[in-house]
Amino acid sequence: MKARKPWLTTIAVSVIAVFLLLPLLNTLMTSLKTTGDINSFPPKFTFAPTLEHYRNVMFAAGYDFTSYFKNSILLSVFTSLFVIVIALPSAYSVIRLGFSSGRLLTLSMALRLFPPIVFAIPYYLMFQYLGLLDTVTGLILINIFLNIPLGLILMVGFLQELPYEIEESAKIDGCNVYQILWKIILPLMAPGIASVAILAFIFSWNDYLFAVIISLNKATPVTLGSTMFITSWGIKWGDISAATVLSILPPLLFTFFAQRYLVSGLSMGAVKG
Amino acid sequence: MVYSEKAAKWVLSFPLLLFWVVMVVFPAGYAIYLSLHDVSMGQGMSSFSGFGNYLEILRDADFWHSIGFTLEFALITTVLELVFGFLLALLFNRSFPGKRPLLSMVLLPIMVAPSLMGIMFRLILNENNGVATYFLSLLHIQVNLFDPDLVVPLMIVLDIMQWVPFTFLIIYSGLQGVDPGLYEAASVDGASYWRTVLQIILPVIAPIFFIAAFLRGIDAFRTFDVIYVLTNGGPGNITKTASIYIYEAAFKSGQIGQAASASVIVAVFLLLLIPFFVKRLSK
Repeated sequence: MKARKPWLTTIAVSVIAVFLLLPLLNTLMTSLKTTGDINSFPPKFTFAPTLEHYRNVMFAAGYDFTSYFKNSILLSVFTSLFVIVIALPSAYSVIRLGFSSGRLLTLSMALRLFPPIVFAIPYYLMFQYLGLLDTVTGLILINIFLNIPLGLILMVGFLQELPYEIEESAKIDGCNVYQILWKIILPLMAPGIASVAILAFIFSWNDYLFAVIISLNKATPVTLGSTMFITSWGIKWGDISAATVLSILPPLLFTFFAQRYLVSGLSMGAVKG
Repeated sequence: MVYSEKAAKWVLSFPLLLFWVVMVVFPAGYAIYLSLHDVSMGQGMSSFSGFGNYLEILRDADFWHSIGFTLEFALITTVLELVFGFLLALLFNRSFPGKRPLLSMVLLPIMVAPSLMGIMFRLILNENNGVATYFLSLLHIQVNLFDPDLVVPLMIVLDIMQWVPFTFLIIYSGLQGVDPGLYEAASVDGASYWRTVLQIILPVIAPIFFIAAFLRGIDAFRTFDVIYVLTNGGPGNITKTASIYIYEAAFKSGQIGQAASASVIVAVFLLLLIPFFVKRLSK
């Protein structure tokens, strides 16, 4: 649809965008202010930027932010890896081999409905018994569970859009199911796999509930780690802001570089699931 | 033979099935088992208590309050997010300079962890040097936004700021699928812009609206992070969501059995809704 005055739209959308990005902008600004500038009232909107808070967060004694960061990386990378390894073959099995078609998907959808807290109590006790409390492995297991439904639904959606003829001709050429999956489906599904991987990465990076419940200190990821700056020694706004900016950086970078996959993944997940 | 398709069907689904049993079926059964026993943190299992925990929970005014607040919160945020998301999608559904970068910017909040959003809002709302406090003082408004009267609207506004981009994205992708001929036909017939939008476009994308409402509604129903970081469910229990209620019952008070029965009640409540949604969605 043609707008009569496109510039008016640009202005309107820009104002909305700035409003929506206010928390991010404010945090970024605070992270770059000196402690004196942060505490001045009225707030300063122009100031000489400093990186002291970033240095504090990364290197000062007393903070363990680098290990929170490492935990988050491990958590997110392994979660997205396993979500793909589990969801892709079973999606294939459902769509092409007719495995319990429908029922598995309905179940996944149902699972997506439950507040995750419903599973928190049994997981906590199971993990206590198995020695998985306060381990990244435990968090990975839970985040696979949280992300499988979306992964499955997206994989099914992408698979349904692939032409079946290629697989048929491969079958005639003597490929078995596994070879077809490995040599034909895997490369063709690359965009779908990418969007599932990115979404699983972001969602597991952003998990907070299970971080609070499962991790005590060794396995703490950045979401929980950043809130930890709030209590102990009073509130150091500069350091918290720097920690927050560092914590949201990976998902935001992903969003920028992989936007095509993300948008198709999110809207497709919505439409199909 | 593992190479036959019949076997492959099972081999390929095996990881999922195994995972399903270990991470879904067993924990669900275990939660039900726990809900029927007197269990508290640290003391292990004591005795079978039948439906005692359930009665306890159903009599707890705090529990009902948390359910009521969660429903109210989910309903209001979902409706407002649909309206604002739709308006934003209409703005984006035309060409204008800078559309692509602005689209990226508008979508950013979805990617931020709600818990970290909570920290960011604490910074903005901080009573000593927060930006919100400053702008309110310019308007000569002196309020404590965490006041019992204001805290619920505040949580709703903050939720909207983070999740309007999500409803926008879904509705926008729906709008893009609308046949452009519809607009032309409407304008040939002399219909005004808003009439076209409300009477022609809206009915066409109604299913998309339903999906957006559904996804946002269930996500709002499970809200934990942002509210927990900001208010801890307080003041009192005003902003205590069902998730926060169960979390506190289990991990703060250590009433594992009762918390488990609260989980089961919430789960059953949602299970009753599922057939309705599945039917609408699979249309």
